[in-house]
Amino acid sequence: MAEKKSTGKAGSGQAGFNGAALFTLAAVLAGLGIELMTTGGGLAIPGWPFNLVFLLLFGGAILAVGLIFREHPMVTWLGGIPLGLSLIVGLALLSFVGGVLPQESVVNGVLQHEKFPTGSLVASLRLDGMFSSWPFALVTLFFLFNLGLTLVWKTFPFRLANLQFMLFHGGFWIALSCGLLGNSQLQRFVVPIDEGRATNVAYDRDTERALHLPFSIFLKDFQIDQYAARLALYDPRTDQVIESNSKQMHDISKGATAEWPGVGSLTVLDYFPDALPDSHGIPVPVEGKNGFPFARVRLEVGGVVSEHWITSGGPQLKPQFVPMGDYYIVMAEGEPKAFRSEVMVMGEGGERVAALLEVNKPVDFHGWKLYQMGYDEKAGRWSTLSLVEAVRDPWLPAVYVGFFMIMAGNLLFFWKGIKKMEEA
Amino acid sequence: MTLVEFPAMALAAVVCWLVGSLLQIPARTTKALGLLSWSFMISGTLVLVWFLTSYWIALERPPLRTLGETRLWYATLIPVVGFLVESRYRIGWLKYYCMGLAALFLGINYMNPDVFQKALMPALQSVWFVPHVVVYLVAYVLLAASAVSGWHNVILNFRDKRSAKAESMSHYLALLGFVLLTFGLIFGALWAKEAWGHYWTWDPKETWAFISWLAYLGYLHLVARKTDPKTLQWYLGLSFFVLLVCWFGVNYLPSAQNSVHTYSG
Repeated sequence: MAEKKSTGKAGSGQAGFNGAALFTLAAVLAGLGIELMTTGGGLAIPGWPFNLVFLLLFGGAILAVGLIFREHPMVTWLGGIPLGLSLIVGLALLSFVGGVLPQESVVNGVLQHEKFPTGSLVASLRLDGMFSSWPFALVTLFFLFNLGLTLVWKTFPFRLANLQFMLFHGGFWIALSCGLLGNSQLQRFVVPIDEGRATNVAYDRDTERALHLPFSIFLKDFQIDQYAARLALYDPRTDQVIESNSKQMHDISKGATAEWPGVGSLTVLDYFPDALPDSHGIPVPVEGKNGFPFARVRLEVGGVVSEHWITSGGPQLKPQFVPMGDYYIVMAEGEPKAFRSEVMVMGEGGERVAALLEVNKPVDFHGWKLYQMGYDEKAGRWSTLSLVEAVRDPWLPAVYVGFFMIMAGNLLFFWKGIKKMEEA
Repeated sequence: MTLVEFPAMALAAVVCWLVGSLLQIPARTTKALGLLSWSFMISGTLVLVWFLTSYWIALERPPLRTLGETRLWYATLIPVVGFLVESRYRIGWLKYYCMGLAALFLGINYMNPDVFQKALMPALQSVWFVPHVVVYLVAYVLLAASAVSGWHNVILNFRDKRSAKAESMSHYLALLGFVLLTFGLIFGALWAKEAWGHYWTWDPKETWAFISWLAYLGYLHLVARKTDPKTLQWYLGLSFFVLLVCWFGVNYLPSAQNSVHTYSG
């Protein structure tokens, strides 16, 4: 990075910067003009194999131009730092717009302009869909051209001293170009599966269009682990939870205590994570996860001691809470700690793979990655529905090669930086 | 240790830094007082390291989930940069800014106390959690130090007291910060692939991480163009505002409503 040199007269001096800034501005304006003419239609990345053909032609053109017209002032300017810097600023400013304005999303197959109705200036210029817009694409294209030229010049002839430059810049070029071009082949599907059933029906995350996957998934079991239920003092007038003197959310466990100065104190006498009320309404622990969390608490308010059962409730059971002065002691259900699906994935050829899907632990199957995505949140821990995401991204290895090259270049940059710092 | 002890620990750290800083005045003439001064300043940071460690143990998860927790790390780490710079460059003034910033962040945490909560959502339970956040935090700390020294150098330049050594220091802090920023960005992408199915989705936090990375990428190319270091001090001072947006400002932007990266605290 820091060794990049100006390689020609046209790229040097203030004139080089002015020209580069004008060029970048023209690219942005041209992109905005295309958006205006197509009422914010955006850019569709070509699909397979045209994305690869485009990448090869584009890469080949950079290589040819860089090697054949190396000394041409126009080419040295196109691969120079002033243009590179202007395009970095252009990318940053366009990203700034995309990072401030709410961006569009697709719901039920219909493009949703979150805040800006179709026909508004923002939507027509596609400022709410910045990262698939023409101005962003044009600036990125010229940026890749500029970066590619410097890369060619640093690579031919090969010198080991340029290794850090090649790794960092080359990695960035590969990750950016393959990430963008590969996006047209990225497939992300949601597969809802009920416990005890198998399915190969998936829904496109964006369009919600249903299709059949080349494999099916059988859901043997879906489990949710929760953190312990918590106690809180609730103020109905302000609809807020009052902090206790220990400034913590009280995880419920037998023997736990909490005190709210000026209000009262509490001790948990019993806690059953899974229980059901018997015929007298007294909670009795039950096996498995078919019950509800219950706690028997002893309250002391102004010297008066009383005992009560409380519960956070659930399907077909109302929550039970108890007054403490002007407030209420309530039980909040524990947050999900982990959720997982025990599945059997069955390929078209009859092969079967047993797998456990968990958040952060996707499973590979024939070029697909299967993720534990979600569940029926209304049913909470009683959910028997698992949402699995199936993702296929054929360009991922290329992007990862780019990432690892950047990291290798970065390590060398760090090493060189430390050495220079010691010399400084 | 829980948040009940936080005010006392924060106060102890600030008092140590303050006493240590004040002792620097007589330490100019008396060497023994210099040692005492450094003992106080380092003790201030050790108090925070102690609190952070025991808080981590009590929480049973890395204290890196809420904004308040990241501020705590920040307050612990930034004075260390000031101390290391002094030992490397013999530049003393940076440490006062660093301790001042740390005290400010402890004050913000005191005014906006977190709630002690052990829960860690499943998406955060990953081997990437600690490296991604810690690498970013160290990057932010280094870039904050480079921004502060950038501003200090701007003032020095106004007063015609330009220091090439101080400019070199702000440059190397930014350079190391950029290296860690790059690692943080890529660790985040690799983690996102494992947790959410794709490495980059232009989530507002990702967009701002990209913008801040571009800002420092621009800086390094300006350096390569042999831009006047005087101008670059302004650039470093201003660039940090972009990082601040990425760190917490993004939560207040209109785009944040769909973000998977919004934190409480």
